[in-house]
Amino acid sequence: MAVEAGADLKVTSGSRHMRMRRRLATLGLLSPSLVYMGIFFLLPVGLVVAYSLGALTLFPGDRYLSLESWGYVFGRSLYMDLFWKSVRMSLTVSVLVVTFGYPVAYYLAMGARKRKYVLLIVLIAPFLTSYLLRVLAWKVILGGNGVINSLLYSTGVRDPGDPISWLIYSQFAVILVLVYVWIPFVALPIFASLDNLDRSLLEAATDLGASRWKTFWKITFPLSIPGVIAAFIFVFIPTIGDYVTPALVGGTRGYMYGNAISDLFLGAFDWQTGSALAIFLLIVVATLIAIFGRFLNVRTVTIE
Amino acid sequence: MQQPTGVARPPLEQEPGNLQVLEWSGYELEALWRAYAREFPDEKVKFTFMTTSPEGLAKVRVGASPDMVHPANAYVQSYVDLGVLQPWDTSLLTNFPSLSKGLLPAGQVDGKQYMIPLDWGFDAPMYRADKVEIGPDGPSWSLLYDERYAGKIAWYEHPTENLVIAGWEHGFQNPYDMTDEELDTIRSFLLEKKALVAFFWGSNSEMENEFAAGNIWISYAWSDAWLRMKEMGLDVVYPEPKEGRMAWVEGLVLLADTENYYHAHKFVDAWASKGTSLWLLNNYSYGHANMQIDFSKVDPQLVTAFSLDDPTILEEPRTHVDRYIPRADLYSNIWAEVKAS
Repeated sequence: MAVEAGADLKVTSGSRHMRMRRRLATLGLLSPSLVYMGIFFLLPVGLVVAYSLGALTLFPGDRYLSLESWGYVFGRSLYMDLFWKSVRMSLTVSVLVVTFGYPVAYYLAMGARKRKYVLLIVLIAPFLTSYLLRVLAWKVILGGNGVINSLLYSTGVRDPGDPISWLIYSQFAVILVLVYVWIPFVALPIFASLDNLDRSLLEAATDLGASRWKTFWKITFPLSIPGVIAAFIFVFIPTIGDYVTPALVGGTRGYMYGNAISDLFLGAFDWQTGSALAIFLLIVVATLIAIFGRFLNVRTVTIE
Repeated sequence: MQQPTGVARPPLEQEPGNLQVLEWSGYELEALWRAYAREFPDEKVKFTFMTTSPEGLAKVRVGASPDMVHPANAYVQSYVDLGVLQPWDTSLLTNFPSLSKGLLPAGQVDGKQYMIPLDWGFDAPMYRADKVEIGPDGPSWSLLYDERYAGKIAWYEHPTENLVIAGWEHGFQNPYDMTDEELDTIRSFLLEKKALVAFFWGSNSEMENEFAAGNIWISYAWSDAWLRMKEMGLDVVYPEPKEGRMAWVEGLVLLADTENYYHAHKFVDAWASKGTSLWLLNNYSYGHANMQIDFSKVDPQLVTAFSLDDPTILEEPRTHVDRYIPRADLYSNIWAEVKAS
């Protein structure tokens, strides 16, 4: 018994040692990422929170240790209205992008066959150009003397000098440009989920007499939903806080929540209210990611 | 942070040199400080940039430590309140006596010369003469709020400027320090008129591109924009509104903890020279505080358009030179509300 007990002790001590080594190895492997995240994400977010609460102030006259900035976010209908306007615009963009991006991804995954990777490169080719240039190019297309209005003048549809005013500096312009910019981002995750689809399921459906339409709705689409949700998140989250596109083509009507944050920091230098608005957006986005994460089922991935 | 008077400073030769200046983009050109470059050929002046005066102030506040900053006069008081400036020793500046006496107070706080006024320019509602009809009373700032030109108007993106303009347009006594009641009126007015505006411009080039393309016909503009639009062949007017033009004055301020006290004085003296004045006028069409220049060497069109040879051109009520706005935070909040609504 004494020998057995000794052996047990050795085994226990050995496994503890192993566990400790494993933990240290994990910590060692993770530490560069943890340090990076700590310095470049958690610390800045902490600073922004501190500014929003007045624990840090930019100018001596700023509100010190005050919740007034948070009062501006929730108390004034101004910023909440702007937030909901941005949510509406962002939702519109996300739905349109997924609607337009899905057929593209479907064709690439199911119909393009040998050419699919060539077409995929064509799809992502616009990324080789700067984001700013791509947005500015739309000003040339949508402007008062731009491509569309000039065409209308030359065909006599509209009188010269009487352009379609809502083409630029409007919510329409912001939504149009965002849809254009984000379609490739959406097509990629949907393409990935469709490309990895188990084709034997489709063959089985055909063997059992299902039409192509029925096969799509009963098999292809449900199995591609994680890709669709991922694509939706890819678009919705960045666009809700976007400020570059609205600043360039939105004018006074396309002003979004992100522009208010930018202006409070860089124009009004009211870092406290700007920080409160930014943290509120961060909380909303983090919550959405958590909710969508459940839908994506990332915790139950199995390896065969 | 301010250095006590009488503290011994190392002589110029013992200073580290290699000045650092927080500047406007376009003002880093050596042509604007040529005399300094000639005197110190081995010096490397390092420029960092700001897009608005409040931005420069915030940069200094959060730790930027240039030797000099080039703000607008309306913000000098804010720098002084932060305790980051020291006054210039004007006796060290050979060009100081040549500077316009009328502009010097723009750089003074409590009688001390914290800013050497250098460049200045007008703000006015620039418009296309071939598109915009002017009433019998002549041009007015109300062009920026004219419903006939909805969608063809651009305002300047600035936390306080649009409130001040609207204040002049309403005929208020002091738009730089409006009462609560006046501010309420301006808030409602701007909220209503915002619907007429295509966009708020943040950079000169952004506005000029849209103006040149015919997308806008009326815009708040600086005088240099008018010159460039004329050069492009547009029928454009830079008016003298009946309420008066507005004018900005900028200059260099000296940071309290600079280690380049004498180098900085040499630099600002170069900026204050006649040569810089002439260059600034001919190339940027901005005015300069050193008015003792030979106007025959300046584009006559420019001299006439801005009455540059008139020594009273910057005086009230013809021109309203920008002033310190004591309740700038409140102005900024109202402007934020106008934009976000």
